[in-house]
Amino acid sequence: MSQGVLHRLDGVARNISPFFVTLLLVLLSLLPLRITGFASIVPEVALIGVFFWSVHRPDLMPIWAVFIIGFVHDLLAGGAWGPGIVGLLIAHALVVWQHRFFLAASFVLIWCVFMLVAAVSMALTWLLTCLAMMAYIDPEPVFFQFLMTVAVYPVLAWFFLRGQRLFQR
Amino acid sequence: MNKPTGSEIRVASPLKAWASRFALLILVGAAFGLMLIGRTNTFLVEETRTAVTDMVTPILDAVSQPVDTFSGVIDQAETLANLQSENVALKEQNARLLHWQAVARRLEAENAALRDLNQMVPDPGMRYVTARVVGDPGGAFVRSVLINAGERDGIEKGQAATTGAGLAGRVAEVGLRSARVLLVTDINSRIPVIVGDGRERAVLAGDNTNAPLLLYLGPTVELTPGDQVTTSGHGGVFPPGLAIGVVSAVSENAIRVEPFVDWDHMEILRIVDYEMSGILDFKTVEAARAERAAAASRAAATEDSVTGGAVR
Repeated sequence: MSQGVLHRLDGVARNISPFFVTLLLVLLSLLPLRITGFASIVPEVALIGVFFWSVHRPDLMPIWAVFIIGFVHDLLAGGAWGPGIVGLLIAHALVVWQHRFFLAASFVLIWCVFMLVAAVSMALTWLLTCLAMMAYIDPEPVFFQFLMTVAVYPVLAWFFLRGQRLFQR
Repeated sequence: MNKPTGSEIRVASPLKAWASRFALLILVGAAFGLMLIGRTNTFLVEETRTAVTDMVTPILDAVSQPVDTFSGVIDQAETLANLQSENVALKEQNARLLHWQAVARRLEAENAALRDLNQMVPDPGMRYVTARVVGDPGGAFVRSVLINAGERDGIEKGQAATTGAGLAGRVAEVGLRSARVLLVTDINSRIPVIVGDGRERAVLAGDNTNAPLLLYLGPTVELTPGDQVTTSGHGGVFPPGLAIGVVSAVSENAIRVEPFVDWDHMEILRIVDYEMSGILDFKTVEAARAERAAAASRAAATEDSVTGGAVR
C-alpha cells in the first residue's frame, strides 16, 4: 500500500521535474555573477529548458507549463509582461509542429534547429518588448545574448540528458 | 498511473482535443492580454511583481552568498597579482587626495561661514540603509537589480541608491523584504542633473547602454569630456550633489555620460533616505490633495451658510 503511494509520488516527481528544473534555472539566472560584461548577455535558460524538453519529452513540457515559465520569467526580469511568454510559446509550438523531424535527429542537428528556433523566438521577443515599452531598444545586446544562449545549449543539454537517464533507470 | 474509466474518456476527449487545438492561440492571446494589462494597470503589475520578488529574494539571498565569496576569492587573486603596480598607483592617488582633503577642509570652513552669513536654510538630514544586491536579471531589455531590503527596513519608492563611487539608480518597486532598483542606465530612467562648472541643468536619460545620455541641455551650452555630472535635487527626489559620473563623449547628436559606478562589481548599495517629500512621494501628494478638497468643501459650506443667512 505505502509502496504504491511512494511509487506514485515518485512518478509525479519525475513528471513535473522538467517544469521545476526550468523554473529553477530561471531563478538561478538572476544571480549576480559579477563577471565583467556578463550581465547584458546572460543566456536565456528558460528557452533552453523549454526547447530541450519540448523536443525530448513533449509530454512533460505541456503548453501551459511553458506559459507559466514565461510569465515567471517576465515577472522576475522586471520588464514588460508578455513578450517573453510569446517567445517561449512560439518556440514550443515550432518544435511540436515539426515533432516527427526530431525522432531520428542527431544532437548536432537538434543544436542547429535550436539556433533557428532561438533566433525566431528572441527576435519576436525583442520586437514585442519594443512595442510594449513603446521605445526602440538596441538589438545588438539581444544578438550577443542569442549567441551566448546557443553556446550554452550543449552544456545544459548534457546535464538534462544525464538527469533524464538517471530518472529512466 | 490510473487508467481513466470509459465515461471519463467520453467527456474528456472532445474537450481535451478542442483545448489542445486552440491552446496555443488561447495562451498567446492571454500573453497579449497581459501585455495590455501591463501597459494600462501599472499598480497591479507592481503588486504582483513585488509579491513574486518577495518570495524569491530569500532564496537568492542564500544562494548569492557563496557566489559573492567565490567572486571575492577571484578578486583577491587578481589583487595579489597586481600588488606592486597597485601600490605605486595608490601612493600617487593618496598624495593627490591629501591635497584635495586640504582644499575640502578650507572650502568646508568657508562654506559654513558663508551659510552663517546668509542664514541659509540647512539641507534636510539624510539616513542610509545598506542592502546587498541579490539579483540581476540582466538581458537586453532592462537595467535593474534586486536588493535584500524592503519596506520593513525603511526603504521607500523613489529613494536614491548609491555605491561608494556614485549614484547607481533609484528604488522603483518596494516589497516587504525586497526592492527593485532601476539603474540610471535603464531605458526608463530620467534624473535631473547639473553638469560642469557652468552648473547647467539637464536630464540624464538611460538607453540600456552603459553610457546614458544628457537631454534638454540649452542650445548655447558647451560641454567637454570630463565635465562632472551630479544630481541637481530638482523635484526633491534625490539630494542635490550626489556624484553620478563624467561627460564621456560629446557629438553633434548625443552627449554621453560615463557613470562612476562599476556595474559589474556592484555588491552593496546604500539607499539614501532624503527626508524631503518629492514629486514621487505619492502618499503626501494624495494627503495634500484630500486636504485641499476638504478645505474647499468646508469653504463652500461656510459660503453657503453665509449667503443663506444674508437672504434670511
